[in-house]
Parts: sequence; structure tokens; C-alpha cells
Amino acid sequence: MKPILTISFLIISFFSYAQTTISGMVTDTKGIPITGANVYLDGTYDGSSSDENGTFSFTSSETGQQTLIVSFLSFETYYLPKEVNEMKNLNIKLKEDVNSLGSVVLNAGSFSAGDNSKASVLTPLDIVTTAGSAGDYIAALQTLPGTSNVSEDGRLFVRGGDANETNIYIDGLRVFQPFLTTTNNIPTRGRFSSFLFKGTNFSTGGYSAEFGDALSSVLLLNTIDEPDQEKTELQFINVGLGGGNTQKWKNSSLSANAFYVNLKPYQDIIDQRVEWIKPYESLSGEVVYRHKFNNGLLKVYGGLNYANLELIQEDINVPEGVNFGLKNRNLYLNASYKGSLGNDWSLATGASFANDFNDVKIVDTNVDDDENSFHLKLKLRKRFSNRFKLNFGAEQFINTFSETADSPDFDSFKTRYDNNSTAVFTEANVFFSKKLAMQIGARGVHNTLLDYTKISPRASLAYKTSSKSQVSIAYGDFYQAAQNDVLKYNTTLEPEKSSHYILNYLYQNNGRTFRAEGYYKAYDNLIKFDTEFAEFDSNFNNTGDGYATGVDIFWRDNKSIKNLEYWASYSYLDTERNYKNYPNKATPNFAATHNLSLVTKYWISDWKSLLSTTYNFASGRPYNDPNTGVFQNQKTRSFNSVNFSWAYLISQQKILYFSVSNVMDFDNVFNYQYSNTPNANGEFARRAIRPNADQFCILGFFWTISDNKADNQLDNL
Amino acid sequence: MKTFIIILTLLTGVAVNSQASYEKGMTKAFELWENKNPDQAINLFERIAQAEQENWLPFYYAAQIHIFTSFGIKDANEIESRLKKAQDFLNEARTFSKDNAEILIMEAMLNTAYVVYNPSVYGMTHSAKVEELYQKAKVLEPENPRAMLYHAEWKMGGAKFWGKDPKAFCPEIEKAILYFEKEANHDEPFYPKWGMNQVERVQQNCK
Repeated sequence: MKPILTISFLIISFFSYAQTTISGMVTDTKGIPITGANVYLDGTYDGSSSDENGTFSFTSSETGQQTLIVSFLSFETYYLPKEVNEMKNLNIKLKEDVNSLGSVVLNAGSFSAGDNSKASVLTPLDIVTTAGSAGDYIAALQTLPGTSNVSEDGRLFVRGGDANETNIYIDGLRVFQPFLTTTNNIPTRGRFSSFLFKGTNFSTGGYSAEFGDALSSVLLLNTIDEPDQEKTELQFINVGLGGGNTQKWKNSSLSANAFYVNLKPYQDIIDQRVEWIKPYESLSGEVVYRHKFNNGLLKVYGGLNYANLELIQEDINVPEGVNFGLKNRNLYLNASYKGSLGNDWSLATGASFANDFNDVKIVDTNVDDDENSFHLKLKLRKRFSNRFKLNFGAEQFINTFSETADSPDFDSFKTRYDNNSTAVFTEANVFFSKKLAMQIGARGVHNTLLDYTKISPRASLAYKTSSKSQVSIAYGDFYQAAQNDVLKYNTTLEPEKSSHYILNYLYQNNGRTFRAEGYYKAYDNLIKFDTEFAEFDSNFNNTGDGYATGVDIFWRDNKSIKNLEYWASYSYLDTERNYKNYPNKATPNFAATHNLSLVTKYWISDWKSLLSTTYNFASGRPYNDPNTGVFQNQKTRSFNSVNFSWAYLISQQKILYFSVSNVMDFDNVFNYQYSNTPNANGEFARRAIRPNADQFCILGFFWTISDNKADNQLDNL
Repeated sequence: MKTFIIILTLLTGVAVNSQASYEKGMTKAFELWENKNPDQAINLFERIAQAEQENWLPFYYAAQIHIFTSFGIKDANEIESRLKKAQDFLNEARTFSKDNAEILIMEAMLNTAYVVYNPSVYGMTHSAKVEELYQKAKVLEPENPRAMLYHAEWKMGGAKFWGKDPKAFCPEIEKAILYFEKEANHDEPFYPKWGMNQVERVQQNCK
């Protein structure tokens, strides 16, 4: 009897399928039917797809509590645990997946370049093939609206802010000396080779609480996670040569490169306005190691750079000129780890270190600077759901600066300070729907040198107005400690402050992007002093202030003309400030009212050539003429430059590259220097500050050696 | 004892039963695909994949349909979501079958789809990946006909772009045909064995 019972039980459970019908309807949150949704019982073969009315029906032999799963592209998967016999006439509403394409993006203030960003306006390749950039990724960013053309400097001037108001980060960690050291009127360039980066996020305002100590802008650079392949690259350029090699293993990879630049041969041929004694010479090397763990990725970067130059600088007050020599050594290390901790927690942590040493000689004064900087950071992120994510973290900056100045006029002058600060930040990302999203956060910072504690709120909100357009707004307060040139002499100042108000409109449609952004930026607590430059006997205070307001327009079109990509940027800027030694509020020399860039890239298949041109225009820049009574009320003539580059692909792995800046040979003037004392007629004489050479040519040959014949260095140019 | 045997038989029956529904499901999914119901086929493959748990094949086919479907559509959002989903499926497939040449070939086709869809954005970055994936697949299975055929087609595309003669790769198609003819039935049911009918299309380049 007992065996029979067992058998009957087994037979009942396994073979007598009591078929239950499961039915219902799938719609989106507005009740519009969804066709083709996948509806099934978890762990079984029982299921079906919803039809054109959104309805579904299928039978199952399962009984008791089961989980019904409904999934569809770009919607959140729906789970319904329920008794099978109650799964009838179900009304299932799928929520849109806020992480899917077509969702609103919090983008006020920022420009992204990368494969993955939804609001991306540029690709990484764009950055390096822009004519006039000569492989410098910073120069390419200067074709975006919100930046001012200050080509005698080379750094980023964003929305009426000076170059110190922009900070640069690699993999979330601060870069302390992102630019090569130069001197007045010799433009600098970024220290890092552009091919290390896969993505760039350039914020011209209203940026995240994760970042601070920058009044205007942050530039976030992310290094590549995994190189494509093993390869050797060689570069021969008329001003230098370089080489690199990449090795890959199962879970790790190593890339190393070195570059030597010497401008002497070039400057021997091409006339320069500057009298060079030792033309610019530099040697740099970089190493990147990446290791993939099961749940995370470690990246270690090291870069070392030596530069040396000496020249006679023209000066209206010193007829024989000023002898200026500079030797710089910069070491930068950056180690970051990103990984998942399970349970929807993730971690990003790392440290960066920089040692920067300068040996500067000005006539017979010798100045040695030595600066050590650390940045330590830990960030945690918890994803509560697709719709709510929380970030928080802490960071520590340790900075030691020492300087020794020796001169026959005075014996020796030593300065030294430790500038340490601690910051904490938190930020929440909330998606109310696929159309409406918000980011809100705050940052607190304490600086031990200057003894201040500040809390700055940040917020942004974005709303999708149609499938192709969106509107976003952002607000934030930003604090920045004084720069080295002031801290050397005074360590009691309050930080400078700015507040940003941003309104952004973005339209993206099939290869065309239109972006317009209006902003108002208020400056407060700007540092003032009562001497020509910040000096040991200057009186410093925080009574300066100012504003910047304007409109930035960006238009990009990859579709209308075959093989032609172009973008146009226009910035209108109205700014005045009272800072440094200004007698009153005025527009600084770096801030032109109108800036315009037009970048084109034309691919000619028959010639296997990429032809790029960049046109830059800036309206006249303000300068101060002591012959008039009003401070800073004159304007230079407007700036014009057309740059051209031609990349010819000899074969897949060999590229010939030629570029020339200012093809039309416009005669540009950046500023005027006036003599300190009037001449016999009672007039102050002046000298125009102009480029060192009106044009610059680069001729290069780039060769990639790899097993994979399809790769080349077009992305390095 | 008797009872034990009966139970054993019944249990085996259950196992066979599950195997049978796998085969039935897979066959049905292929039918749906053939009958121009790619999305229903994907849904069914996805359901099978969830029920089977550790089987790479349904994931592989679900990915394949998404990739192949993407070649025929224009809507950028749809292409991107399909390719993203295909990548998810292939990632799943890879966790259940490591060092699998077929999955690498499918990943190469996925990257090809990105390049075809938007060359100016993905051309530079994804082309190198395609090449690497085919090479890896060929190391694992030197006589895989799909690796041979589609790699040849990829290289022909490159040659055309560079203004070179794509015919240089025609001998590789001949090799692929040879491998297709030699290709044995795999022990694993539903193991990939497709592609022979694509030879003619690729051979257009050799005329």
C-alpha cells in the first residue's frame, strides 16, 4: 500500500499537469499597451510575448507561489510573486528604465566627450584631430563655448574666470600642475599625452559637489581601462621624437611612452619675436599599469617631465630686455581603484602625488620653488534603486611649498607653508521619471592653513521637453583658496567665492546638436593687494568682487554634408571684477566680449586624408592705457586665426601629418605694456604684446607597429 | 527495491522531460526566428536562458538575433538598445562558457554592428576590437568556418575603404567553404553551425 501511495503521489506531482491559464495586459505607466514584452514564470519554460494590444495569455502546470517576470527593452523588469491560480487578468504597468537611452541627462554646465555619455557632444577623436590643437587636448577644448581665446597663455579661461579658476582631475584625482611650466607670453600645453584618455567631461560651471577649490570650472579626464592591443608606436616630428609600447596580459596591461622636444632647430629656421638663448627643450616619460580584479579595476599612472628654457624677454621699462631662465622637473603619480562591494555598493578610492621643482633665474635673481602635493580620496556610492543613488566621500589635500630667492640686492629670502585641507561631500541622484531628474548635494571644506570652514550647496535639475530636447538648470556655490603667489606672503585670507546660476537647453537629433546656455556668476571675497604684483610687503584683503554673465551657443552637425563634420561655438561674455590691484571694477584683459570658433573636419576617401580647419575669432580685449584717465577702458583690435591640418594615411599604420597655424597670417595683438614713467612729452610709451611667431608649422610621421593592421595613431594627432 | 526502481525511473523521466522541453523550446524559438518573428524568438530564448540557468546557447542566440536585426533598422535609439542588450546576453553567455570561439565571433559581429551604425564615433575604437576578437577566436579554433568567413568579410571591408583590392581575401573564403564542409555535428545540441548560406553573399566581392 505504501509504495503505491508514493508512486501515485509522484505521478500526480510530475505527470498530471493541472494547467492554469495566466493572462493579463502590459502597458506603460500612461496605460499605452506594450507590444513584444517578455512575460514568463521564473525558472520555467512557461511564458509568451505580449501582442499588439499588450495582452498575453499562456498556460502553466506550475502551482502555488511563483514569480511572474515581465521584461522589455528600455523598461525596468517587473517581478510579481503571486499564487499561480490568481495570475489572471493582470494589469501590469512597466516603468521606463531611467538608465536607458533617451533619458534626461543632468548636463547643465558640462560638455562630455566619450563613447558612453548620452549628452556627449564630442568624441575623443574630435579632441585630437582639431586643427590648431597640435595634439594638445586642452587646445581643442578652447573651441568650445564658455572659453575665452587667450592664446598667448594656453590654459583654460572659463566664463570670465582666470586660468587658476579651473582645476583638472585624472580618474577623479587632482592634477596639481597640469600644464607645462613656461613664462609670460609663451603659451603652455597640457602635460599629458592625449591618447591615455578615453573620456573627458569639461564643466564650465555648476559642477558636482565631489569637486571643489575651483571658482569657475573643472575638467575631468578618465584614462582608458584596457588598451585595445599590444603595439609599438613611433612619432617623428619636426620639433621632437617619441615612442611608446603597450603590453597586455590576461588581467593587466602596461603602457609606457617617452617624448623629447627641442625647438632649437625649428627656431633657427623660422624667425621668432623673442630672443631665445636656450630654446624650449623637454623630456617626458609616462607609464600606466592597469590590473583587473574580479570586482574592480586598479590603475597606476606615473609621469616625469624635465623642461629647460632661457630667453630675453622684451620689456618696455628695460631696454636691454629681461634675461629669464627656467628649469622645471615635475613628477606626478596617480593610483586609483574602482570596484563593486556587492549589495549595490561601490567604491572609488585613490591617491595622487606631485613634486614640482622650479629653478628660475630672472636677470641675477635666483628663485627655487619646491612643492609637494598629495590628494587622498574615498568615495562610496549606494544604488538604492535605478531611481535613487547616493554618493558620499571624503578627501584630504596636503600641500607643502617652499621657496628660496637669492639676489645681490638682498641676501636670501625663504618662504615656506603647509596648506592642508579636508573636505567631505555628499550628493543624491534622483530620477523622478525618465523625463525629470535632479542632483542635489553639498560640500564642506576645512582649510587648516587659512583656518576657514565653508559649506557649499550644489543642485541641478533637468527636464526632457521632447524626445529630442531638454531643459536643465543648475546652481552652486564654490570656494577657492588663494594661489601660491599670494599664500607665500599672507596666510590669513578668506577663500574667494563664486555662485553660479545656469539655464541650459539641449537639442539632439540624428547627428545634429544644438546647445544654448545662459549663466550668471557672482564673485565675492576676491583678493586684492596694493602693489603692482603680490609681494612680501603688499597689504592683502578680501574686499574684491565681480560678476560674469553671458550666453554660450554650440552647434554641431555631422549629417548634412557627406564626409564633413563641423561645429560652431559662440560665447557672449559680459564681465567685470575688482581684484588684485584694480582701482575699480573693470573687465580683465583675458575676457573678450565675443568669442567664436568654427571647426571643420573633412574626410576625402580618394586621398585617404582628413583635412581639418579651425577658425577662431575674438573681439578686442581690454587693456589699460595710463595716458587716459580711465582704468582698462581701451580695446585691442580683434583676434583672428585660421588653422589648418592635413592627416594623410599612407597605409593603415603610417600617417603623415602636417599642420600650420594662422594660415592667413593675421597680425594679432593680445595686450599692451606701457612704460612706468612718461617720456619727455609726458606720454607713456607702449609696446604691443604679440605672438612669438605669427605661425607655427608641424610636420610629423606616425608609425604604429602591431599584429593588428587596422590600428593607427590618428587618435594621437 | 521495486519502489526504488520505480521512483528512479520516474525521476529519470523528469530529467528527460526537462531535456525535452529544452529541445522543444529551442526548436520553437528557431521556428519563430525563421518565420520573421525575431522579437518573439528573442523573448523565448531569453525565457529558456532564465529557466536553464547555466546554458550559454540561448543567450548566444538571443544576442545573435538582436545583432542581426540591428543591421536592418535605422532608428539610432533602437540600434543602441539592441546592441546594448546583445552585449548583456553575450556577457552572460561568456560566464557559462569560457574561451568559446563562437562567443568571440559573435562579439566581433557586435562590434562590427557598432562600426557600421556609426563609423565616426565607433570606427576608431571598435575596429581594433573586431580584429582582436577574430584573431582570438582563430587561435582557439583554427578551423572555425564562421571565424574564417566573417573575418575575411571584415578585412574585405577594410581593403575597400583603403582603396585596395578586396579579392586578396578570396582564398580565405575558399578556406571557409572547406571548413563548412568539414564541420562536424557537435555533441551539444543546438551548437552553432550556421553561416554556410552567407558564403555566396560574401563572395560577391570576388567577382
